[in-house]
Amino acid sequence: MIVVEGLAKSFGRRGEVKAVDGVSLTAADGAITGLLGPNGAGKTTLLRMLATLVVPDAGRASVDGIDVARDPHAVRRRIGVLSDARGLYLRLTGRENIRYYGALHGLAGAALAARIDRLLDTLGIGPIADRPAQGYSQGERMKVAIARALVHDPAAILLDEPTNGLDIMSTRALRALLSGLAAEGKCLLFSSHVMQEVAALCERIVILGHGRVVATGTAPELIARSGQATLEEAFVQLLGSGEGLVA
Amino acid sequence: MSTLSGARIATIARKEMVDTFRDRRTMLVMFLTAIAAGPVLLLLVLNLAASQAEKARELRLPVAGREHAPALIAFLERQQVTILPAPGGFEERIRKGELDVVLDIDAAFGADVAQGKAGTVRLVYDRSRDRARASIDQAEALLRAYGREWGRGRLLLRGVAPQVGLPLTIEARDLATPQSQGSLVLFLVAFYGLFAAVVGGMAAALDTTAGERERASLEPLLTTPALPLELATGKWLAVCALNALAVLVTLSGFYLTLRFAPLPTIGIPFLFGIAEFARFVVVLVPLILLIPAILVWFGCRGRTFKEAQSNVSLLLFAISILPVVQMFMQRKEPDWLGWVPVSAQYALLTRALRGEALPALELAQSYAVPALLTAGALLLVARLLSRESVVTGSR
Repeated sequence: MIVVEGLAKSFGRRGEVKAVDGVSLTAADGAITGLLGPNGAGKTTLLRMLATLVVPDAGRASVDGIDVARDPHAVRRRIGVLSDARGLYLRLTGRENIRYYGALHGLAGAALAARIDRLLDTLGIGPIADRPAQGYSQGERMKVAIARALVHDPAAILLDEPTNGLDIMSTRALRALLSGLAAEGKCLLFSSHVMQEVAALCERIVILGHGRVVATGTAPELIARSGQATLEEAFVQLLGSGEGLVA
Repeated sequence: MSTLSGARIATIARKEMVDTFRDRRTMLVMFLTAIAAGPVLLLLVLNLAASQAEKARELRLPVAGREHAPALIAFLERQQVTILPAPGGFEERIRKGELDVVLDIDAAFGADVAQGKAGTVRLVYDRSRDRARASIDQAEALLRAYGREWGRGRLLLRGVAPQVGLPLTIEARDLATPQSQGSLVLFLVAFYGLFAAVVGGMAAALDTTAGERERASLEPLLTTPALPLELATGKWLAVCALNALAVLVTLSGFYLTLRFAPLPTIGIPFLFGIAEFARFVVVLVPLILLIPAILVWFGCRGRTFKEAQSNVSLLLFAISILPVVQMFMQRKEPDWLGWVPVSAQYALLTRALRGEALPALELAQSYAVPALLTAGALLLVARLLSRESVVTGSR
């Protein structure tokens, strides 16, 4: 479970850019929680703080009760991160890319090999796994990056705009994979600026705007609260504008 | 806090090595510069030295006005000099580099000598031409010798001991062992040995740091349990391995060139055998370890490969200029230079080439500062990697 309380982070020389401004949220185990917001709403910074890459200015965040600022190393062992930057090593094969991360997580030998095979199978990239990543399509690269993030079977999974650049078939495959992970009891936090995606995949939706939480709830709750007819109208109404969102 | 894991460091080092070895362009450039640059240059210089020696042995001297000083010509011919008639317009031809040196005997030579005055001969040359220097020096030396012999004969005729006119006897004892001559060749071999240790790991160092950042693979890497110091150490070790390989390839190039290439038949002024090979490696170890640490640090500071590259080229220039300055330094080197990385190694390399054993104390001295700097650089890299700016891109 991921718990965030009053988390804040500013950038710039005098901290004039408030990227995240007092965000609180909870992401439960066995569920996909969606972070929806236009570009620049603070989604990436929030996920980076949870991934221990950026230190919060204020507030607290914990993964399964472990504070991200106090014990980042223990948090890293429990989380799988598909970050905004998701470059592969292009001269290594897909399998080698995944194996590297597995080894960094302390996995080795037959257990690691079996785990990689299972992931390759689930994601349907077995046939290309032993080719250099150089020749992969966008979708194939994304799948390898996801397999890499999941190689150590993390309890919590952070995904920053995972469907960016994916075609429809790959997007559908990814959705199926994420739903499966939630069914296994994992805690998934998923950011996107695509409404349909969040609506289709997430039980709970957290809407971010200008670094703050604008609204939280299930899709029907958000529609009801905004008094609008459709989810799209509800988002636009809650955010004040639909700028930066994709329907 | 977590403790460093040797297994993770090994994992990182192994991955970086595999990654670099598959980078064909980088590997090709590394091997070509390592194999070709040093040994090829060495062959050129050795051939130059050989042709100089050739010239000095058989001086062919064009003479203008030989009829004015037949005794001098006879003396020169006794000294195995081939006398040629000077071509017309020889000054112009010397300027163009077609002739090395011409002896021009004054038309009034015979008359002056008959009147008891000093006869005048002119030696015409262009000293800025390195190729001509051996011929010039030999012609000059022969003329001086002739002058001395002549003067001695005159003194004897007058019943004066020749020592009266030549109170100083110069006895030259050249202490150079066969190896310690040929300083340019010496410099080249030492310099390229150093050079290999400095540039050998450059491409790899930048690729694992600035390249990793540019390819957007650093951020995900930092979400793994790998500690910043483990990443720094693993990457550094991989670059060190490559650097060591570059040095070994370069030294093998020297060894094979000097041993098997059809070298000119001058006595090669130094040895580069297995013992020198081993001493070179021992001397270069601190640089093989230090330079990658510095390069990795520079690489981490650059946000892109290009940025890191321009920073590094400045560093490399500074490093490579040190031995050149040292070579041109006329005085004996000050003692503190033994502490300065690169300079200390250069001094030790030239000693190894002269066939000297390496003094343990100075060797230890040359290891001390690089060891500290290496540790310092690695800690700086680790600190850089643990900063959030490495991900967010702000400074």
